[in-house]
Amino acid sequence: MGDRVVTPYEGSGHHTWDDAAAIEAPLRLHHTSVSAAWVDYNGHMSESCYLLVFGDNADAFFRFIGIDEDYRAAGHSLYTVETHLHHRREVAEEEPLALSLQLLDHDHKRVHIFHEMRHGESGLLLATAEQMLVHVDIEAGRSADLPPLLAERLDAIQHAHAALPRPDVVGRPMGIERH
Amino acid sequence: MGDVSVPFAAYRSAVRAEWLDYNGHMNDSSYGIVLSEANELLFVELGLSADYRASTGASLYTVESHIRYLAECSLEHTLNATTMVVAAGDKKVHLYTELFRDDDRLAATGEFLYVHVDTALGSSVPMPSEQRARVQEMASSHSGLPPPGHLGLGVGSSRQRSGSV
Repeated sequence: MGDRVVTPYEGSGHHTWDDAAAIEAPLRLHHTSVSAAWVDYNGHMSESCYLLVFGDNADAFFRFIGIDEDYRAAGHSLYTVETHLHHRREVAEEEPLALSLQLLDHDHKRVHIFHEMRHGESGLLLATAEQMLVHVDIEAGRSADLPPLLAERLDAIQHAHAALPRPDVVGRPMGIERH
Repeated sequence: MGDVSVPFAAYRSAVRAEWLDYNGHMNDSSYGIVLSEANELLFVELGLSADYRASTGASLYTVESHIRYLAECSLEHTLNATTMVVAAGDKKVHLYTELFRDDDRLAATGEFLYVHVDTALGSSVPMPSEQRARVQEMASSHSGLPPPGHLGLGVGSSRQRSGSV
């Protein structure tokens, strides 16, 4: 690890938007494997690294729709408002991770997404993340409408993802069930 | 045990350079690290810390975590946290932690559900009676605190309970 948090897509290497291409449902923009720096005393990926990997998947999505260094330098970005993780299974060092991303909903400035992290070979579900993002004017520190180009791309993804089932944990509050 | 009629408030840390990302602010995943560190101090108080894990082979696993990001944090900030035990069962602990900057701005909230797991068996098991009693004692003391506005709400909900912060 460097002296700050770096995403794998800073600079290059991400999937870019192609108006002519079909949109995957869900999107599959990020694959990685469990790095030695991410595992805890028992050899499993530590809790905070799930957030890191989902963050990298979100970054791949941002870059796919057009939010990269240039976009941010021009004054706007997508900020995370909330993240709700469900941990399902442990995963060990060097094991492959396959991330997917479903666009659940969006409006003129909010984007509601759902990530799944699966084992890259077995396909077993390791964790999910539901996130609410908001488009912001960085300097003003306030939410701001998405520009038309991003809104069109999100509309196109929403259309492609309309047939996907809504995951059952979406919007569900946390609690201890009593039997 | 200390005074448990107020939220547990032991955590204090300056923002560290390795928590920042390209924009000089704390990365999303770093809020998770800080909230976990704060919760670990509570687990020390409850006898469920890393030492407990080392001596018993049992541990609290995170099943769910729900973080709300409310203010940016950078190197000039020192952070502190308050935690309440929202509910507890024989095997489960539900915590709510608020993270504050030293200018008293609420920077994040985290709601966590933990399950007590015997790592050798690979399955959930009840906590030992001593730990269960400590957790229940703190839960019942914290039940007198005003309920946090966002507690028990799903992502995207803007509903706030009356009297909330």
